[in-house]
Parts: sequence; structure tokens; C-alpha cells
Amino acid sequence: MSYQRSSQFVSRRQQNWSRNQNTVAFVSSVKLGPVAHTVLVALMITVLGLIYLTQATRATGYDYAAQKIDSQIADLNNQKSDLEVENARLTALETVKNSSVATTMTAPTSTQYVSQ
Amino acid sequence: MKLELQKGSRSKILATLILGIMVVFVVRLFYLQILQHAHYQALADQEQIQTLKIPAKRGMIYALDGSTPTPLVMNQTVYTVFADPTATTDDVKIIDAVQSIAGGNARSGLQALLARKDTRYQILATKISRTQAEKLKALDLNGIGFQEESQRVYTEGALAAQTLGFVDYQGQGQYGVEGKLNSELTGTDGLLKTVTDVSDVPLTIGDKNINKPAVDGTNEVLSIDRNVQAHVEQTLSDSLKKIGATNGSVVVMDPQTGHVMAMANLPSFDPANYGQVSDGSVFNNPVVSAPYEPGSDIKTLTMATGIDKGVVSPTATYYNTDHIKIDDITVSNADLGHTGNITFQTALNYSLNTGFVTVAERLGDGSNINLQARNTMYDYFYNHFKLGQLTGIEVSGEVPGTVIPPTEAEGNAVRYSNMAFGQGMDDTMVQVAAAFSSIVDGGLYHTPSVLAGTVDANGAYTPNPIVTPTRSISQSTADQVREMTHVARGGLFGPADKPGYEVGGKTGTSQTLINGNYNNNQTVGTYLGYGGGDTPRYVIMIQVSGQNKAFQGGRDAEPIFTDISNWMLDYLRIQPKG
Repeated sequence: MSYQRSSQFVSRRQQNWSRNQNTVAFVSSVKLGPVAHTVLVALMITVLGLIYLTQATRATGYDYAAQKIDSQIADLNNQKSDLEVENARLTALETVKNSSVATTMTAPTSTQYVSQ
Repeated sequence: MKLELQKGSRSKILATLILGIMVVFVVRLFYLQILQHAHYQALADQEQIQTLKIPAKRGMIYALDGSTPTPLVMNQTVYTVFADPTATTDDVKIIDAVQSIAGGNARSGLQALLARKDTRYQILATKISRTQAEKLKALDLNGIGFQEESQRVYTEGALAAQTLGFVDYQGQGQYGVEGKLNSELTGTDGLLKTVTDVSDVPLTIGDKNINKPAVDGTNEVLSIDRNVQAHVEQTLSDSLKKIGATNGSVVVMDPQTGHVMAMANLPSFDPANYGQVSDGSVFNNPVVSAPYEPGSDIKTLTMATGIDKGVVSPTATYYNTDHIKIDDITVSNADLGHTGNITFQTALNYSLNTGFVTVAERLGDGSNINLQARNTMYDYFYNHFKLGQLTGIEVSGEVPGTVIPPTEAEGNAVRYSNMAFGQGMDDTMVQVAAAFSSIVDGGLYHTPSVLAGTVDANGAYTPNPIVTPTRSISQSTADQVREMTHVARGGLFGPADKPGYEVGGKTGTSQTLINGNYNNNQTVGTYLGYGGGDTPRYVIMIQVSGQNKAFQGGRDAEPIFTDISNWMLDYLRIQPKG
């Protein structure tokens, strides 16, 4: 079963629409045409772009500083490794055995033990 | 009114024009940024983003110096100097600089290399140090470049070469610990994916940057004591020259942990110059990779099996006729004349084969090496003493050897009679030394290992936990067999030992199989013993051999044991008993 609408329904709000509209519009004393608007928008975009670029460049500047420090760290690590290798070579058995101190050492004739 | 209309028209025209231009821009940008996004993104990434590998540092290898780790294998950055002959401007200056700074690392014929203007890459010097490279860089020579690479440095030269192995040109560990623990030592390379500038400097801009740090390889500490290793290598070298042997091996173990304190073989090689080796077999470590018939050293294990099963004792007797028949073969003693009713201690003292075939028989029905006897021997040799199987030692190239089970046709009474005195099976020295160590340590079998611990990035040493041992034989059996070897050594070689210490051992002379027949003209001499004060502190196994040469355990291998054993007593600062 279906219902048929008997008459056109018009809300009260629709009836009063035109009556409640503002009748006075604010008009600015400064007149800006469409060109000026466009230029202003373009300027705002440019300023925002410049701000972005400033920030991005600042981060990049830190990157170069970080890279320099990383490079110094790598150099120092290499130097440290070289020194460790040199140290190990100087304390190697063969080096110690051939040292001036070792060549003058003599074997003990007897060994005494102390009870612990 | 007309003016108003004109104003409105101009504005509308301008607005329409701007709108039109904007539409063109929007459409074009839509095409470029939306429709063609993937294409241009890929192009941009290709140009701006670099993927760089952060190489992981290969782990160092340490030895022990007493109880302190000391570097044995390190990494060093070296440089290759190359030239672009088309870009060099002062060849004379380059040649002078390279020759004077790189010295022996400079290639010969530099002038000819630089004259080859048809090429853009000529190596002028290799493996120069960082200091040398910096001196050359300071000269600011046109057309000269440097390539950085890491190489292994062996601070103790060729010490423990076959235990260490080496790292090949591709950076892969080969042989020894380098080969066995290659993945642990290699570590994991890191990844840096980032936007870079024209100088390849990584920048933090972009949202696709990946920075995954490298995980350096583990720094392994070997249980090898560099002082023991050096003494063992020197003694072995001197002794082989003295007795005329071409091949020799020594393994020194701590019986209380299973840690290998020294493992030496001759001939050997220099891992820093592995490319100059003409015979690749020297890369192998025979202590773990060359199974052989161990001979009479095994009599200690046969005796331990007999005592543990309660069928014999050191003072029990048997009737020795110097010969004993098993099926269709006759086994004879090498040392004849100790006939009559003798104890098993006497059999061990003179290494009489008949005594240990008798032990095997008593594991059965008393007069035959029946299936029960063979099963028992196999159980002890394979399951208790772990002969004929991989020990799991952390050295590449270990082979299991062979102990034939009684279930196979070849595992008959004849074979097991031979196994009773160490023939008819193939074992590696490390297997035999570990099995004997279990006797020395009260019946506790420790898995042999060359790893003592690790060193972290800050240099802190963390020892590995001691692996729980398994029981091979009872404490009582172990004590009896240990005492038997002490007595056996005391009778023949005791005077050579430092007084006041407990030292024991057993000789071994094994025939080698040549074309399927045992040969008496090519024998392997071994000596297996232990030493210490109140408690045994070391087990030493010696092996000497050579092609077409007959070596004896007592005559050729034992003196090497004595030398090392007496030195160990001093080095470990062991106090005499009492």
C-alpha cells in the first residue's frame, strides 16, 4: 500500500526566507581589485616558500657539519686502529723475545715454591 | 553606465584569462604530479637518493695470555694508490713520490704504467698504510686516487695458522676458526639510504631516508694460550728436525674444561701470505681433519671399558704367550718376552696387544669377542668416548672418522680385536685427546672447544660458560686408569719428569694402511699423556709421521711430550705435590 501526497508542502522557514535576509552590506573603504588579490596571494605563497627554504637550508647546513664530524670520527677511529695494531705488534711474542731485556735474561738454576 | 560596463568587462576578461592560465597550469600539474607521479618520482629518486652500504667490521680474534685476551688477528685499513694516466700532469713527481713513500709496496715499472694513456686506471702501489697515504695525499698530485680497504693483520705472524685459517680476497673466512665462524665474525652490513648532494654528502631532507647501522662481527677469544702455542710450535719444529719427520701435530687440552690450549701442526703456512702457498693441504688442521688409526693410545680406553664393566682390574692377571688367536688371525705383541701370568698393569706398561685383546674377550664370554663384547666396546668407544663422530670443535674441516659398529659385516671379532689396541678404526687426534681427558678428569667428558669467550666493543672480556660435561666412565674407573698410565710412564720415562709432579701417559705406534695392507715401514708415533700437581692440569697428545718412515711413540713422540710437559709445569706455576 502506498500513500499519495495530497498537497505541496512548503515549510514555514522557506516562506520567511526572503524576509529575514540582511538588507545592508558592509562595503570596505579599501578597494582591491582581482589583480591585487592575485598578487597578494602570490606574495603570501612566496613568503611561505621562503620560510620553508630557510628551514630546509638550515637543516642541510647541519648535515654538512655532521658529515664533517663523522669524517673526523672515522679518521680518529682509523688512527686508533692503527695504534692498536702497532701496540699489538710491539707486544707480540717475537718482538718481546728479541728485545734487549729478554736477550739478557737467564734461566733460573732452581725454583723454590711457597705454600699458598 | 557604459564605463561600469567596460570596467566589468575588463575584469571579467582578466579573470577569465587568469582562470584560463590557472586551468592550464592545473591540468599540466595534474598530469605531471598525479598521472606521471610514479615516473618522475623514480627519476628524482634515482638522481637524488643514494643507497650506501655501511660495511660491518670483521670481528677480531684473540688468544689468551694466561687469562687475559691478547689480539691475534686484527683489522687494518690499507690503501691502493691508482692513477688516471690521462689526467696526470707531472709523471716524474708522481714516480718519485710513490717510490719514496710507498717503498716496497710500489709496483715496478711506474713510468710504463703512467705512459699508458689509453687506460684510465693503473695501480701504482698496494697495501700502503694510512700514514703513507696521507703523505701522498698532501702532495696533491693530479690524476692520483686512493682506494681504501680493510685487511687482516696477524700480530703474532704464523702462530696457530691452521687454527685461525685466513680471509680470502672476497672477504670470506676460509679454514680454521675464520672459516667455521665466518658468519659470526662477518657481522651484518648496515644500510644508509638518503638524499645526497652533488658531493655525495648525505642530507636529512626527504622522507625516505633509511639509516640502519652496521652490526660488527663478534670478537672471538680463543682458548689457545699464545705462550703455550708458541712453545709447542717451537718444540715441534725442533723435534721434527731432530728425528727426521716431515709431519707432526700436537694438541694441548685443559682436561677440566675441554678447552684447547694449543694446537700445532707442521708443515704450516703464513696466513698473511696464504696466496703464496703451493700445496693447499697445509691449510687443513690435521688435529681435527686427519683421522688415523691411533694405535696403542687407545689401550687406555679399552682398559677403562673393561674396568668400568667390572671384568678386569689393574691387578687382575691373564696368561700371556705373546700371541693370541682370533678367528683366523693371530695377534702378536710388539714387545716379546713378558710371558706367563702377568697383570694388566704390566700389559699396559709394555703395551702388550694380547692383554687388551683379552680385555675385549672378557667383555664377552671370556674367550671370544662375541656380539655382546663388540656391542659393549662400541657403546663405550662411540657413545661414551665419542670416537668416530664430530666433536663440534669450532675449527673448519673437522671430519668424524670411523668406528665400525658390530651391526655391520665388517664389525666382526677380528676388527674389534684390532680396535682393542687402536687399529681398525679411524679417529682424529682431538677425539682421542678429549676421550683421554675424560679419564684424566674423573670420568667427565668435556666437549673440546677452542673458544674461551668474547670481547665486546669496549674491550670487556666475557668468558663463555663451561658446557656441562657428560659421564664417560665412573670416577673409580677413571682414577684407576689414570694411575695405571702414571705407573706405566713412571717405569719407562719417569726420570725425565720434574720431581714432585704427577705425570702419566701412554705410547702409541700405529701401522699405516698402504694399498690395503698394514705397513711396518711407515708407522705413526704418538704419545698421549697428562700432567699436574694435586689435580691434572693438562693433556698433551703428540703425533709424528713421514712418508716411508717408521716412527715409534716411545722413541720419537715421547721426548716431545716430556719437553712440553716440563715447560707446562713451570708456565702454569704448578706446585709440586705435598
